[in-house]
Amino acid sequence: MKKKHHPLLRPLGEDSILVEFDAIVSWEINGKVRRLQHALEKKDIDGYKMALPAYRSLIVYFDPFKISDEKMLSRTRSALLESEEMEEPESRLFRLPTVYGGEYSPDAERVAELSGITAEKVIELSSNLKLPIYFLGYICSQAYMGGIPKELQAPRHKSPRPLVPGGSFGFGGPQANILAVDSPSGLNYVGRTFVKVFSTDRFPPTAFSPGDFVQCYGVDEKAAIEAGERPMEDFIEPICNS
Amino acid sequence: MSRFAIVNPGLLTTFQDLGRPEMLKYALSVSGAMDQTSVYLINLLLGNQETAAVLETTMVGLKLRALADGQIVVGGADQSLEINGRSAQMWTVLSVKEGDVIALTELHSGMRAYVGVTGGFEAPLILGSRSAYLRGSIGSAFKYGDEIRSFENKGGYWNTGKVLPSRFIPDRDMKKPFRVLPGSQMNYFSETGIQVFSTSSYTISPVSDRQGIRTDGPKVDRIKGPDIITDPTPMGSIQIPGSGVPIILHRDAQVTGGYAKIAILCKADIDRAGQLCPGDRIRFEFISRSEALFLLKKRNHMFEEARKALAVKNFKNR
Repeated sequence: MKKKHHPLLRPLGEDSILVEFDAIVSWEINGKVRRLQHALEKKDIDGYKMALPAYRSLIVYFDPFKISDEKMLSRTRSALLESEEMEEPESRLFRLPTVYGGEYSPDAERVAELSGITAEKVIELSSNLKLPIYFLGYICSQAYMGGIPKELQAPRHKSPRPLVPGGSFGFGGPQANILAVDSPSGLNYVGRTFVKVFSTDRFPPTAFSPGDFVQCYGVDEKAAIEAGERPMEDFIEPICNS
Repeated sequence: MSRFAIVNPGLLTTFQDLGRPEMLKYALSVSGAMDQTSVYLINLLLGNQETAAVLETTMVGLKLRALADGQIVVGGADQSLEINGRSAQMWTVLSVKEGDVIALTELHSGMRAYVGVTGGFEAPLILGSRSAYLRGSIGSAFKYGDEIRSFENKGGYWNTGKVLPSRFIPDRDMKKPFRVLPGSQMNYFSETGIQVFSTSSYTISPVSDRQGIRTDGPKVDRIKGPDIITDPTPMGSIQIPGSGVPIILHRDAQVTGGYAKIAILCKADIDRAGQLCPGDRIRFEFISRSEALFLLKKRNHMFEEARKALAVKNFKNR
């Protein structure tokens, strides 16, 4: 029997509490993080500001002049108990039209070589993946996705590319992302979506939420570019069973 | 409405205000002025709302030409300020006439100066703030020839000549230690490492920017890491990457990161850190959470005192 681990809760800085679950990247552990966030959002705690999830940790911000750290710790602990009984909000699937091949797949050959399959196969597999979003982070609401199967798990580039276009879809090891804005990155990029997954012209700046799923399915260049004219909500499908 | 042409943008000049704290929820960096105490005081002097946008300029070189009459305050880093070649006072409401040339000519201490204007600068409001966030392609850095203007100001020049009482000028003594609380991965560091971190002197590196204030100095010994499972990086986090020397994450910091964090800067010292200049030598000092809260309370109290001291009945405002 595996020992049941209790999460570690402690104040961080003047105005936050850091909650840490088991130190592994797993969808199950991340589910605990996401459920705790939902439980906190529901509680209406005076002085609570927001909670931000990561893979296995959650940071809870509060106003230290409205609620003491002891009190915030105990409210977070009770949210934790409630979260164990909670159902998560239904996952949504974003099916994003994505163009593969040529300049849009700068690393398909590299992944193919490392995996011993053809570049066409890499693209076909990539196009069918439904990847879970663990959390939003880094800069500009970047979705941290996981779930890359073993055969596509190529290591990152040793030195990152200085500038990868926003909308690029790629992975390194088990992790994947769609770049929100043009950024340096060491991941292997295999496709590009023109759907704006981050935009300062909308609120909130992204429609992604932790717990959602993303599929970057292959279409031709024209269809992909046309899809970029539409808001990302247009590509949501209601239900997705992991 | 006042208008200005950028004659020389200096090293880096952008619009900044108090940033986008609400957008943190969507994993967008908070941004905003690196020294918000200065921005708060400048806007108080001008009778602006505290959210009014100012120019943030890095080190020296900024030169503006007024294209219309108006009022400005320059504050922040201690600089030589000249209007038409004649020395002018910082932290003072100055009247400028069309054609006047405003120049920051010499940096004495600090890193970033702020230029506020009556009414606040008319910069686009993006997700609740007018702050540029260049890594996120929000806003831009000013170039030679750009023109900027303020919002309409119907208040007149009632406060020209008003000076910030010297007791409110922010203390930017970098010899005073930067006070910190334990970071998220303090347990990744050896006792010797923590000792080195809290007793050594670190020199601010020239590769510092609005995202991270980098240092050179003795390496901090660790037991684990430097990589961790990516986790939240709240503002002020002090991470120790592979190089072993501290980086203070500031306003444009990423919201999550993969390096171990030894400490987190106290809120009361964040704005002072925003004025750190390459070559400055600093020390870190661990304090208790209750001391940190006391310092924060003291700073908020100072804001309140300054607000009272500078309050003038503005009959145009209801």
